[in-house]
Amino acid sequence: MAPHLNVLRLPLALAISATLLTACSNSEETASTVPEAKEAPAAEATTKSDVVEHYADLAHAKFQDALTAARSLDSAVDTFLEGPTEANQEKAQQAWFASRVPYQQTEVFRFGNAVVDDWEGQLNAWPLDEGLIDYVEEDGYQHELGNQGATANIIASTEINIGGTTVDTSNLTPELLAELNEIGGSEANVATGYHAIEFLLWGQDLHGFDSGAGQRPATDYVQGEECSNGNCDRRAAYLDAATDLLISDLEWMVAQWAPGQQDNYRSQLLAEAPDAAIQKMFFGMGSLSLGELAGERMKVALEANSYEDEHDCFSDNTHNSHYFNGQGIANVYSGSYTRIDGTELTGPSLSDLVAELNPELDETLRQQLENSMGALQTMKSTAEAEAEPMKLDMMIAPGNEKGAEIVNGAILALVEQTGSIEQAARELGIDSLKPDDAGHTF
Amino acid sequence: MQPMTKAIGVATLILAPIAGMAASQPDANGDAKEQWHRGILAGYQSLATGAGDLSHAAADYCSAPEQSSRDTLERAWLDAFLAWQQVRFVDFGPVENDNLAWQFQFWPDPKNLVARKAGYLLTGEDPISADVIAQSGVAVQGFPMLEYLLYDEQLNTGNNALPAPGTCSLLTAVAGHIESNSKQLSEQWQSFRKHYLATEQYRDATIRAGMTALEILEERRLAQPMGLRGNGKRSIYAADAWRSGSSLKTAEATVLGLKQSFLPGLKQLLESSSQPELGQRIGRQFDEVLEHFPDLHSPMAELLSRDETFSLLQGFYVDVSQLTTMVNDQAAVELGVVRGFNSSDGD
Repeated sequence: MAPHLNVLRLPLALAISATLLTACSNSEETASTVPEAKEAPAAEATTKSDVVEHYADLAHAKFQDALTAARSLDSAVDTFLEGPTEANQEKAQQAWFASRVPYQQTEVFRFGNAVVDDWEGQLNAWPLDEGLIDYVEEDGYQHELGNQGATANIIASTEINIGGTTVDTSNLTPELLAELNEIGGSEANVATGYHAIEFLLWGQDLHGFDSGAGQRPATDYVQGEECSNGNCDRRAAYLDAATDLLISDLEWMVAQWAPGQQDNYRSQLLAEAPDAAIQKMFFGMGSLSLGELAGERMKVALEANSYEDEHDCFSDNTHNSHYFNGQGIANVYSGSYTRIDGTELTGPSLSDLVAELNPELDETLRQQLENSMGALQTMKSTAEAEAEPMKLDMMIAPGNEKGAEIVNGAILALVEQTGSIEQAARELGIDSLKPDDAGHTF
Repeated sequence: MQPMTKAIGVATLILAPIAGMAASQPDANGDAKEQWHRGILAGYQSLATGAGDLSHAAADYCSAPEQSSRDTLERAWLDAFLAWQQVRFVDFGPVENDNLAWQFQFWPDPKNLVARKAGYLLTGEDPISADVIAQSGVAVQGFPMLEYLLYDEQLNTGNNALPAPGTCSLLTAVAGHIESNSKQLSEQWQSFRKHYLATEQYRDATIRAGMTALEILEERRLAQPMGLRGNGKRSIYAADAWRSGSSLKTAEATVLGLKQSFLPGLKQLLESSSQPELGQRIGRQFDEVLEHFPDLHSPMAELLSRDETFSLLQGFYVDVSQLTTMVNDQAAVELGVVRGFNSSDGD
């Protein structure tokens, strides 16, 4: 969920190099989240076209699930806004957690499919300068250098001026929020999506490396005299509009992957040569695995001891965001996905194709995907432990050796699997994993 | 095109009769790697020397804070930093240990972590020591922290401006950290020689390192601040070394470093390829790029502010882009180097 355009920080992550890592023989028992080896191939071998079509089915199912979970979030938020109690706030927060589970598993579709990448900034952009949206602690609020919108506080203002442009913000509609997203050209001006909603439900996490998430009082949404921190009517209107926008955005994406349509993205993708789509699949897996998840989302935060770079920093849910990102990568390879209602979606997979040509490589990659899920499971279990949970912002604290080891374990496992993802792509005749630069050139 | 490594294996088995080129290839690869190792060693050694001078200059300034010792310190900082720029392209080998590359230069830093970490250390109660620096993460440990202490406007107008004792402690401790890292790197690179020469994959890894450095220069260090990417807004904060106004000097040093340490090995390989003249053309393009200096030594902020100066920057950018295309597209394809994943993917 990095900003959807070129992220400034990428060159740092280059220090993670997958090129020279040899296949790792580390095969400890880890929690298995990748299905076991397939039965012997049926008489009719799987074709690339079958695999691509099933990939589109996976994407469709995941975006549908994301939409379903977002609708539950929307209704929990509505209930909270009608009755702004702590109990209702917590229900809304739980619904937000649940909404992240399917969404994070869709991120693997972002890389390679421009239709997703160009769209996701409105849903999932991060990190954000939250002072654009609402009140922040004056002392110690660190925002993007040169961002003129970093303290605009839309909720407190019926008009804002950023970089010489004045916008009437008196009526907080979904359309207005969409217009305000990335206002002034700064990717940190995130006005919409999961993280804006997260901030509105939790508030700033002022605990630094210590235990604890954001502690926004439920009274921030009480109308009338009991309202804390002012502008409760506008804050409620903002949160309502942001959840509504999330739904309409997800509806659009579900339609892009729906079968039986003439003009949607799925029909374009299936009309292309299968190799082009296979390239996108591998590219999505590798890019999320190495540059984004291992590099941008973990290594930078760890090596700079920077909780500003923690992913879900308001709610301290980062371990789950990472875990389900990893699961998304494994899903694309195995062709399987456990839907939020518990049903299993399975079908022709990249794994089938690789196993036919190079069973050993298939075995290695499946093992590596299991290893990385094991490492991410360790991160998740540690963060969710009943006794003394250690969240990601604590793991990355200076001098926390145990925490660093957990994060590094996940980084290394992801780096290793990326090497095999490259090999698997080559095995299937995909020579270049260089991205096509559509949308990124001038 | 298939990767050359694969092609060689096939050639020796099947194509032996017409294998004049395939037979000489391993020698060319070995020679190229010898050249690369030598060039990079020279670069690491001058980084170590520069870092030693910097560390001395920091101590001298803090013991006798006068304008002349301040000038010497600022010059020593720039010299050592530019020595780093010359070898910054190397993204494999010992520089990967302990994240040395990030330790030398944490960049980019859009959230201004450097300032935040400095504030934390300068207002903390614990005295600043080598151990504290070693524990403080990459945003503290390198050239950008020193640049912040020397050049940040806000810091330099406040109570903690150099030569305040706490700030001096931080300055000398970070300079000492850089000195020790650069010595370690230079020594480890020497010990790494045998493994580097014996390991086939380092041929492609070295070429890819040069390719990546050019791509980062073109895309992140130039196009981004120039507003040619993303939101179309010009911004110095996306450039490196904006506080000291030396963004373009660092670009020059990077190109110069590639010319000195990377180009010779690349030319060597191209000479035994089917496009022997390509190496010469790439060499001439390096010169074209470097001809923009010293005219372009101005701070990025100045170059971005007016149309006349911006057009100078555009000319430089176009020449860098052409160089990138020649190396990353033409030479890489000719030499069968396949790009894998790196972190510029995805976003």
